[in-house]
Amino acid sequence: MLRIEHYSKTYPGGKKAVDDLTIHVRPGEIYGFIGHNGAGKTTTLRACAGVMDFTEGTIAIDGHDVKKDPVGAKRVTAFLPDNPDLYEFMKGIDYLNFIADLYDIPAEQRTADIKKYADAFELTGNLGSPIGSYSHGMRQKLALISAFIRRPRLLILDEPFVGLDPSASHIMKGYLADLCRSGSAVFFSTHVLEVAEKLCHQIAIIKDGRLVKCGPTEELVGDSSLEDVFLDLEGEK
Amino acid sequence: MKKFFALLKVSVKSMLLTSTSAQGSSRKKAATGLGAMALIAFLGLYLSGFYSFMLMEVLAPVHMEVLVFIFMGMGALIGGLLFTTFAVKGVVFGGKDNDLLLSMPVSSTMLMASRVSAIYLENLLFSIFVLGPAGAVCAFLTQSGVGHSLMFWVRLLIAVFALPLLDTALSVLFGALVAFLSARVSRGALGQNIVMAVYMVAVFWFAFNVNGMLEELAANAAGIKDSLSWAAPMLWMAEGIMGDWGLLLAFAACCVVPFALVVFGLGKVYRQAVTAFAARSARNDYKLSAQSASGQKKALLMKEAKRFFGTPMYFWNSGIGLMMLVAMGVAAIVMQKDIQMFLGLMEGIPLMPLAALMMGLCLSMCAIAAPSISLEGRYLWILRAAPVGEKDLLWIKTGFELLLSVPSTVVAGVCISLAIQLPLWESVLLVAVMLLFSVCHAAFGMLVGLAFPKLDSVNETVVLKQSLAVCLGMFVPMGVLGVCSLLYWLGGMVAGWAALAFPIALLAVCTAVCVSVLATRGPAMLRAL
Repeated sequence: MLRIEHYSKTYPGGKKAVDDLTIHVRPGEIYGFIGHNGAGKTTTLRACAGVMDFTEGTIAIDGHDVKKDPVGAKRVTAFLPDNPDLYEFMKGIDYLNFIADLYDIPAEQRTADIKKYADAFELTGNLGSPIGSYSHGMRQKLALISAFIRRPRLLILDEPFVGLDPSASHIMKGYLADLCRSGSAVFFSTHVLEVAEKLCHQIAIIKDGRLVKCGPTEELVGDSSLEDVFLDLEGEK
Repeated sequence: MKKFFALLKVSVKSMLLTSTSAQGSSRKKAATGLGAMALIAFLGLYLSGFYSFMLMEVLAPVHMEVLVFIFMGMGALIGGLLFTTFAVKGVVFGGKDNDLLLSMPVSSTMLMASRVSAIYLENLLFSIFVLGPAGAVCAFLTQSGVGHSLMFWVRLLIAVFALPLLDTALSVLFGALVAFLSARVSRGALGQNIVMAVYMVAVFWFAFNVNGMLEELAANAAGIKDSLSWAAPMLWMAEGIMGDWGLLLAFAACCVVPFALVVFGLGKVYRQAVTAFAARSARNDYKLSAQSASGQKKALLMKEAKRFFGTPMYFWNSGIGLMMLVAMGVAAIVMQKDIQMFLGLMEGIPLMPLAALMMGLCLSMCAIAAPSISLEGRYLWILRAAPVGEKDLLWIKTGFELLLSVPSTVVAGVCISLAIQLPLWESVLLVAVMLLFSVCHAAFGMLVGLAFPKLDSVNETVVLKQSLAVCLGMFVPMGVLGVCSLLYWLGGMVAGWAALAFPIALLAVCTAVCVSVLATRGPAMLRAL
């Protein structure tokens, strides 16, 4: 579903944020991407989503090369940054319809999906209000709903649990699992190692822009815990 | 005081020197801010110099120079209010960094004072550019010699520094009211647009009646001065500049006291005010019904329209040129007889080129595409992640300006052609050339928006009023019109056909270059942001 091959990103000034990263995410997988602050997680996710340009390596989503066929790749992808800023001059429902229009989602399907996800996240009653009046958590929920209604083949999430209440986190985890059961894939970064350990089929650990370990969660963790493995690899234990 | 200046520096920087792009060098950032200031200064000096000269020419012979300073003082006060009231809503009460700065170990009064001082500096610029030329004109045209002494300039300087204090105090109070209403009224943007519409009608009325007012002024200057007792502070300022130190001090007190009261009064409740103005709680009574679908392009165009019509600052700053264009066309039809009588007295005027120049100046002020990339700012990720090509995004943004400017141009062109009774071929040529100019203006605006973006500005005020992209998007097309006028004059010396062919050829080349560069390099420029 997602093939990152020898991807590197160098910022102006020479700082190499990511160096020769290769990751494969298969359909039906939830893939966790962990690392310390500034390790290169967000840079990688943004490059996968086609939001950030890069010069070295290739990234393909569902067979669409992000560089050569960016529109095709974006059509099957939903991306949520860590702190999603949404148009404050729009109402919640307007934003969802705007996104649905960009992804050519038919009217009946969008109505049904908006109802399903907005009811689940308890946001339906607020959809008529301007986004400017939303709390951080409500914006996060709206952004998640806008991602789920696209029925993406690949869902890319940057720190999706930040700002969500425990109930919304639980609901989101359920929908992530549903999405994978339908043959899609999820690639997300997180600092919540317990969640990553329980939720992910595969995990990659990145340090200073280089992949230090990746593989199935059970193999990676073994008899230890993800926290122990992570701290060990980071040299903090 | 160290803390105060640090806070003031942050406020001023956020207003003027917001970075141009992630890769922008500090020199480029500084050039952007200074360039914008220089262009605004040029416009202020030009307009003030023009009206001061007109007034002084009429009033100096009757020794009523004092009236020029009264009117220019009022102009600076009202203009400053207009420019900074909405800025106050964004900079003082709605700054995105309010949470951060309110959590710092500084008093809320000091924070408020630093924010208000940034507004004062903007008003000070306005005061300098309005009262400065009035003083210079007075020095040249006065017949009483009052403008020739050093003390005149000292008194003028005191007035220049004092007036913005009053302006700032008033704009902070009005800005607080606007912020309060915006937080409470569901259609706040509509209310703001209505207030601005009333103001613009007043400005147009003044512009149409200025000649009659000048004649009346010359005939009854002393009586008019006496009738201005309701504007006592302006009267004191003007009399003070002309030599009355007592009245000048009274005027200064009139400015300092309200400013201090506003800073210390509102400063004490600044935290509460910011909280109250930001408290827009979401309603919880929406009932979801069947939704309808539309295409990608329509959705993107609707988004541009919602932002344009729902953001009063954007609507009035960028739409004023189009309103003036349409108003000019309608006025030409309404005042058709007067215009034809006037034109009958002035034979040999090249009507079509003159109409084109007037329409071009109005279109130049329509900077809708130029700020649109910067207005995306922190929302740009939504468009970048969307399955829409960069080229399509740019053409939709450019197209939105054309969607508004093309019908306005056609309406104005037809009305003006009818009013001044142009031959059919000249009417068609006028509309065609102006449509060409509209396309050139929109494409050029998009390009400067990509070249000089302000993606991390704290609010839209910074983008619309202090960005180099907007200034260039307005003034470079005006410069092109100037060159076209020159080519018309030079062409006229060569042959009759060349007078029209040369400027049209220049416009065609400019349009072709802008459209071509936008099509070929635009997507890469957008990707690089």
